[in-house]
Amino acid sequence: MSAPDLSVQRRADAGAPAPPRAARRLPRFGIGRRTLVGALSLLGLLVLWWVLTTGTGLVAPYRFPSPAEFRGALDQFVTDGYAGGTLWVQAWHSTRLVLMGFAVAVVTGVPLGLLMGVSPRAEALLNPAFLLVRPIPPLAWIPLAIVWLGLGDAAKVLVIWFAAFVPSVINTWTGVRGVDRTLIAAARVHGAGSRRLLTEVIIPGALPMIFTGLRLSLQASWTTLVAAELVGAFFGLGRVLDAAYRDINPAMITVAMVAVGILGAATTRLLGEAERRLIPWRS
Amino acid sequence: MKDIRFEGIGKAFPTRGGGQFVALDDVTLTVAEREFVAVVGPSGSGKTTLMRMAAGLDHPTSGQVAVGGKRVTAPGPDRAVVFQQFALFPWKTVRENIAFGLRCQGAPRAKQDEVVARYLRLMNMEGTEDRYPHQLSGGMQQRVAIARSYAIEPDVLLMDEPFGALDAQTRTVMQEELVRLTRREPRTTLFITHAVEEAVYLSDRVVVLARDPGRLREIVDIRPTRIAEGWDEMAIDAVMDLPSFTHLRTHVWRLLRDQIRPDD
Repeated sequence: MSAPDLSVQRRADAGAPAPPRAARRLPRFGIGRRTLVGALSLLGLLVLWWVLTTGTGLVAPYRFPSPAEFRGALDQFVTDGYAGGTLWVQAWHSTRLVLMGFAVAVVTGVPLGLLMGVSPRAEALLNPAFLLVRPIPPLAWIPLAIVWLGLGDAAKVLVIWFAAFVPSVINTWTGVRGVDRTLIAAARVHGAGSRRLLTEVIIPGALPMIFTGLRLSLQASWTTLVAAELVGAFFGLGRVLDAAYRDINPAMITVAMVAVGILGAATTRLLGEAERRLIPWRS
Repeated sequence: MKDIRFEGIGKAFPTRGGGQFVALDDVTLTVAEREFVAVVGPSGSGKTTLMRMAAGLDHPTSGQVAVGGKRVTAPGPDRAVVFQQFALFPWKTVRENIAFGLRCQGAPRAKQDEVVARYLRLMNMEGTEDRYPHQLSGGMQQRVAIARSYAIEPDVLLMDEPFGALDAQTRTVMQEELVRLTRREPRTTLFITHAVEEAVYLSDRVVVLARDPGRLREIVDIRPTRIAEGWDEMAIDAVMDLPSFTHLRTHVWRLLRDQIRPDD
């Protein structure tokens, strides 16, 4: 008896029969045509932008920059710098803080989520404190962080940690509790001890949810970093946004916004790539 | 090899009104060494609960289960379970799934490879060792699960409706293969099913349970007939055409039928 070749099939559930051929062909609509459509819609947006700001002048330049002004601000930012640094310096400053805060949140949040998931005692102990802290919006921690640590990098990392910690904990915890009980029983009846149960059954079983948590954590990291830099900072893209707002420079504001958007998308993409590699059994 | 003894097993749950729901009442049953016993019964007769007790995944409220004379308190690799939903580790390949129990025992790599290769051959699954479970059909997944349990050479095999999730044709193929495997490597086996033909075809004895409360109805001896007529050497459809088989099947079926209520 030979199995059908399922290498094209994505994410089939265990035990589910292979989808019929017609269903498999669907995603083929994909790559080539999809990028084409995407490129076209992006191009349309650029044309619309030009028409509104330059062609017709419907939108005044002090409200939203024209493509040419945007280009000018970008050039200025890249060559001369703005608010104390060039684009690369400012972008790296922000990215580094996001990665540091995110890393600290993951390194502390995921193990705590695992602990709460496997130990009812730990859950009973930690859950009340968690429920109390959880509804506080991460941005509300900014003033306290500044009071404690000033306007420097340490305060930013602390705020990102607070913001990114909660989604990591909650999703890891949910993931652990959602691990198929039968798989745990199967591991135990085949002789697995508690250590092997954790590393070979519970963690892999929770991994998809853990990654969901990491994605949310990463988003929260960028949000809070920009907010914290807006409130008070010496460097970073949030600082650029704040300075451009004070200078009433909409072109520079949009350049900084786009930069944050691109960095957020890029780091999320990296995380997605890590997920794809760490969860090969799903793809 | 060990036997399984259920001694006066009772299982009761408290109900909301302060009363008691009795799932199992005073079940005494022995599965001898190397014997294959199938348990059939209507839903709610506690057959899966019985199996889970032998596995150490569930506990009786009265009586005790002993395997090889030792009281069962927790799961252990001397009592491997094959589950209805296969319960393969989705993140492990076929090879890693089959070798899982051996790794738990700390078996050397060479021994693991040898055992994996042997069961892949026995199960006609050579060449699939690096696939993940979701890349296999249901029948192949259950073969892997059976191999995973056989691989640790457990004293006792517990099977909880292992073919219940398979389509009819695959099911028949699997039944034949299980017969082949169990006659080649006989193990003390407790096989839970609701399929009467399957129970009669596979087992030495069929235990029929009654429900409300779950209790022993009758034990039907199959082995003498099977040996005398050489069922093991015949194809499954040929066995099922035999008058002796039909007779036994109908007998078991009648024991079940008077318990079936219109709402089933």
